[in-house]
Amino acid sequence: MNREQFLSKLNDSLKRLPSSEREEILQDFREHFEIGMSEGKSEEDIASGLGSPQQIAKELVATYRLEQVGETANTGNVLRAVWAVIGLGFFNLVIVLGPFVALAAIVLSGWVSGLSLVLSPVLYLVNVIIYPEIFAAYDLFFTLFLSGLGIFIFIGMFYVTRWLSKGFVKYLNFNVRMVKGGMKDA
Amino acid sequence: MNVQFKKGVLELCVLVLLDKKDRYGYELVQKISDQIAISEGTVYPLLRRLTKEGYFTTYLKESSEGPSRKYYALTEDGRAYLKDLLVDWEQFTNGVNQLIKEGVRDE
Repeated sequence: MNREQFLSKLNDSLKRLPSSEREEILQDFREHFEIGMSEGKSEEDIASGLGSPQQIAKELVATYRLEQVGETANTGNVLRAVWAVIGLGFFNLVIVLGPFVALAAIVLSGWVSGLSLVLSPVLYLVNVIIYPEIFAAYDLFFTLFLSGLGIFIFIGMFYVTRWLSKGFVKYLNFNVRMVKGGMKDA
Repeated sequence: MNVQFKKGVLELCVLVLLDKKDRYGYELVQKISDQIAISEGTVYPLLRRLTKEGYFTTYLKESSEGPSRKYYALTEDGRAYLKDLLVDWEQFTNGVNQLIKEGVRDE
């Protein structure tokens, strides 16, 4: 691979970054090539020393995604960050995807149980409309109580979700920092 | 050595090298790859990340040969972070060395 090929592969793999960011990165690598060549190294030697442009790009994209989550954490952002970190290597598939699925399941089940409680009076009334003979004031009040409980669960889940996603983003950052990459034969 | 956690060490290497003086990217890469086998390209993502986290600042400086070079300088935050990492590193290597010593004696 020569200089042009390396830079164009890197550029292609960075398509998802804003162009200003991409230009800065390419500039760093152009500088690297220029200095190396001024020391008498061949373009090919420098490129092979640098390693795979795709792997370098993955690293940069993952950092960028995490940075975005730091600015505004929404579902799309977090998912993109998780995806980018997983892309760094097979090892991350195990240690990132596993906890992520578990946490997502906990969060989802919390919201679903809150929702079903909130809706319980409605479900009860639907039932009464279909079978009017079962109506009992006690049951109705009990479902209203459950509905109130559901609202509390909603409020609780709001904080739990926010807290868990913050914690998980920290964990992703740790992964980018410590795990996989950077070494030959990695 | 297991590759998974070498990456954290790379960060330490860069910080240590910048503690003495400001350096440009190519220089950092050379210094490190003289000592450890690395994919040189991955130093640049690391430099970008640490710059964004406020551990480095960068500036361009003309060089006697060829175009200007981007220099990295350690900030106060970076220096504090380096200190923390060095403490961690010392504890870690002391622990591992101790285990190795005991292991060798047993045999």
